[in-house]
Amino acid sequence: MTTPAAELVGVSQRFGSFTAVDSIDLRIPRGRLTTLLGPSGCGKTTTLRMLAGYASPTSGRILIDGQDATRTPPEKRDLGMVFQSYALFPHLTVADNVAYGLTMRKVPAPERRRRAGEALELVGLGHLGDRRPKQLSGGQQQRVALARAIAIRPRLLLLDEPLSNLDARLRVQMRAEIRRIQSETGLTVVLVTHDQDEALEMSDEMVLMRAGKVVQTGAPRDVFPAPADRFVAEFLGYENFLTLADGREAAVRPEHLRIVPADAPLDGAADGGVVLDAVVVDVAYRGVDLLVTLDATDPAGAPVRLVADHRADHRSDHSDAATGPAPSAGDRVRLLAPRARLALLTAEPATEGLS
Amino acid sequence: MTGQTLNQGAGRSLRLRHPVAGTLAVAGYVIMIVPILFVVATAFTAGSTLRFPPEGLSLKWFGEAVAYSPFTEAVVSSLELAVLATALALVLGVPVTLAIHRGRIPGKGLLEGLFLSPLVVPELVVGLALYQQLMIGLHLDNFTTLLLGHTALLLPYAVRVTGASLALADPALEEAARGLGASPLRAFVTVTLPMLRPGLISAGLLGFVTSFNNVPLSLLLQTRDFRTLPVTMLDYVQQSYDPMVAAASTLVLAATVVVAVVAERTVGFAKIFGGINR
Ligand SMILES: Nc1ncnc2c1ncn2[C@@H]1O[C@H](COP(=O)(O)OP(=O)(O)OP(=O)(O)O)[C@@H](O)[C@H]1O
Ligand SMILES: [Mg+2]
Repeated sequence: MTTPAAELVGVSQRFGSFTAVDSIDLRIPRGRLTTLLGPSGCGKTTTLRMLAGYASPTSGRILIDGQDATRTPPEKRDLGMVFQSYALFPHLTVADNVAYGLTMRKVPAPERRRRAGEALELVGLGHLGDRRPKQLSGGQQQRVALARAIAIRPRLLLLDEPLSNLDARLRVQMRAEIRRIQSETGLTVVLVTHDQDEALEMSDEMVLMRAGKVVQTGAPRDVFPAPADRFVAEFLGYENFLTLADGREAAVRPEHLRIVPADAPLDGAADGGVVLDAVVVDVAYRGVDLLVTLDATDPAGAPVRLVADHRADHRSDHSDAATGPAPSAGDRVRLLAPRARLALLTAEPATEGLS
Repeated sequence: MTGQTLNQGAGRSLRLRHPVAGTLAVAGYVIMIVPILFVVATAFTAGSTLRFPPEGLSLKWFGEAVAYSPFTEAVVSSLELAVLATALALVLGVPVTLAIHRGRIPGKGLLEGLFLSPLVVPELVVGLALYQQLMIGLHLDNFTTLLLGHTALLLPYAVRVTGASLALADPALEEAARGLGASPLRAFVTVTLPMLRPGLISAGLLGFVTSFNNVPLSLLLQTRDFRTLPVTMLDYVQQSYDPMVAAASTLVLAATVVVAVVAERTVGFAKIFGGINR
């Protein structure tokens, strides 16, 4: 087994009596893209800043390439960081911004220019080297910040919500761009985000955090269908929570609940799935689908409110008996959740009951 | 029809929006500028008394002023004092600004208040305190005492104005520099200092002008062997009443205008004075 690119061992960060990061253990696999994902204030930035050396942990150790770096100042860590505000030097040209880290490393001028140029090419901005940061769009500034961090060939590339200042289209474009750069350079990347779609799309490894703790880690394909607990499930967009007949709690995504006529055959129950009788409470039109709110009784006998996505393209398809016509408020319907779509959750802390 | 009414309404409201403030502003300018115009006009007189309207037109009082050694010596003294006090205030003020804006020290508010206090404590009181403590108590010479006094006077400007430009700079810039391999000192020199440049220029200009024009502090701390220009001119008008002092004032005014124009061209007044009223 290779040493991880970086490792946090029992790392905590306290601000006064408040614990922002609570004794976390984390291994950042080499040559992969790891995302730190979690709601606002859960300690993602704090964790990244400790990794970069801008804050030193109150307790615990940080290893980079297997070496203890807990007290190493940022300039000696050889890491590339992209700040949320980009932090481009306004008094330097784009090319000089990108070359800054090389200048600090006393790389001779010709090589410096060449490498800065290469980094700018990599992000597709080779032609804008003479501009000032202010003369660039937000997306271009973001790329310059990326190029500047990459130019020093860092041991680790750290990105703090690099896409949050971009508009929706550019954001989606840049996700692919960062992935491309990561695979072309083979860099180890740690990316902070609170956007689960971003994390799912970009990560090799996801680290879900809550209140300063790591709650689940794993590849998106492993984490998404099997959230470790209700918090992770909610964060990943599971909106329906039911107690099964055997007392276990399960989560179902709105798009996996099927609304069928009340008299449809009960074949869904055969494979261990859930079949519920429900009453439509509300129907909201959302273009591609209808968001249907329903009241039902779960297999354990408790009343639950559920939401289901009902695809709009099924509305005109009256011949599809399994889907049926568009539901409207007051309709009695039947809900199907196949066994494979039920995410079973481990027990939750007592503080959070069923809503 | 409706559009027309709207336009008329907009025009009227523009004219009437701040009638009182507008009048006051004009009155203020008149009160400030008219006396200056009188002084400038009398400087060109051919007569021998400080009187308006001037009698005839001549440059002779300018010649007299330039040749009058107490004035020329005082100009040199004032320049020396203003340059040194400004430099000292910046050298002391910039680290304080950094500590206030970037440092992780407790009691930042107290520190800031301390360094801004000379703005509110009357200069005569400061002058008297310096006179008693430094000149009498510590036997410091006159120039050193004046230099310390003026430096204290300029510190608030240095702290405030450079602080304003530091407040505009993203603290992540210095972190970015560190992350890219710059030591704290390199990061300061290559990133923070360039960010501070407009603030340093503004604070320097303001400090220089403030020191050069200062009367109360200099008046209290003057002695026979070291006098600043404003104090010398004050002495002069108490003894004689000829237009030479008007000519000297006009020369100072001209020099100040040149400095102001240069300042406006290089930094802009909005930045210079924006820094004080942050
Ligand atoms: N310097 C500080 N002093 C006191 N508390 C702090 C400090 N920095 C962060 N915190 C607190 O620590 C917690 C974690 O902050 P952090 O910035 O790491 O959150 P985050 O996960 O990055 O959130 P976001 O998604 O909003 O950026 C927050 O509750 C924050 O208020
Ligand atoms: Mg953050």
